[in-house]
Amino acid sequence: MFTALDVSTSGLVAQRTRLNAISSNLANISTTRNEAGEAVPYTPRFVVFKTDEETTTTGGGQGVRVDSIEYASVEPNMKYEPGHPDANADGYVAYPNIDMTTEFVDALGATRAYEANIGVIEITKDMGQRTLQILA
Amino acid sequence: MLSNMFDSSPLGALEQVVSFTQARHGVLAGNIANSDTPGYKSRDLSVDTFQARLKDAIAARHEAATSPSYEINARLAGKPTGTGSENWQQVREATGDILFHDNHDVSLETQVTEIAKNQVQHNLALTIMNAQFRLLRTAVTERV
Amino acid sequence: MSSITPTQLFAQQAAAPPATINKPTGDAGSFKDFLLDSIRDVNSMQQQADQAVETMMTGGEADPAEVLTAVQKADLAFRLMMQMRNKMMQVYQEVRDIRV
Repeated sequence: MFTALDVSTSGLVAQRTRLNAISSNLANISTTRNEAGEAVPYTPRFVVFKTDEETTTTGGGQGVRVDSIEYASVEPNMKYEPGHPDANADGYVAYPNIDMTTEFVDALGATRAYEANIGVIEITKDMGQRTLQILA
Repeated sequence: MLSNMFDSSPLGALEQVVSFTQARHGVLAGNIANSDTPGYKSRDLSVDTFQARLKDAIAARHEAATSPSYEINARLAGKPTGTGSENWQQVREATGDILFHDNHDVSLETQVTEIAKNQVQHNLALTIMNAQFRLLRTAVTERV
Repeated sequence: MSSITPTQLFAQQAAAPPATINKPTGDAGSFKDFLLDSIRDVNSMQQQADQAVETMMTGGEADPAEVLTAVQKADLAFRLMMQMRNKMMQVYQEVRDIRV
């Protein structure tokens, strides 16, 4: 009963994971080193969703879950900054190839999708409440 | 006795559902309150255990209504006796059965959804309970 | 010890007054049969609604809208029958008060 709520919640969890990845990409827009301190620029990551066959409604609706977190296959953004500690022999520093506009548009999409799921949850709850009025 | 009039309706079962959902609401509210507490393990009451015990108690009620010897045999076997508030003893004990999640990985969204589902269940039971009482009152007062 | 549903109580009550009236025999039993049939009908409606409620509360496959509609139908049917009984009692009392 009320499996529609589970489906919407799976959407919330998935969209929040996506938003977390976007935050991470934006936060690391100038990160030139990895966690070990080596001069490897941060690679932007994407969250990949798949339909979740474990979260289903009686009507055939399916939930969503995070399938994997993939790394973008883009070349780093080379900037000429001689004197930078991570600059290579030619004076170029490898910066993460993250496009701020794309990330912000993506963040907006994730936020809207999150809100849409919240809206559906409200509707589901309202329907449940209205079902009770059969007896009122 | 006069109190038997409640044994023939689902009121007893509904009462158990209401008290279980109230207890579970408290537990889930604690999870939300502690969502930022380091080392806190989110907890829950087992809905499956509760529903299984409720099913047994309801079956016992139906059995006891048809066979007079059921109560004595059930009492000896330590099963739900089928009549009175004693029938729901094992159902009530399900509220003390707290489950702990293994890791701190239960998302806030999932917790809130569980609370919402619990609330719907609570309101559902309460609404039907009200209707049952209204029906009994109609029968007693003979007024429609 | 068997428990009594409101409709069963009512069945006993409803069955009693016609028996006390000295009715001429003939097709007079048909209304009584109709009444008893409707009582049985209401009783089974209530039992089905109760069963649906119990199924839903124990996590069984049940649609809340269907269950609540069944409960409401049983409720209304009971009220209708109650009203019929009240009217019948009223008629009985009026007939009893006729001075011969």
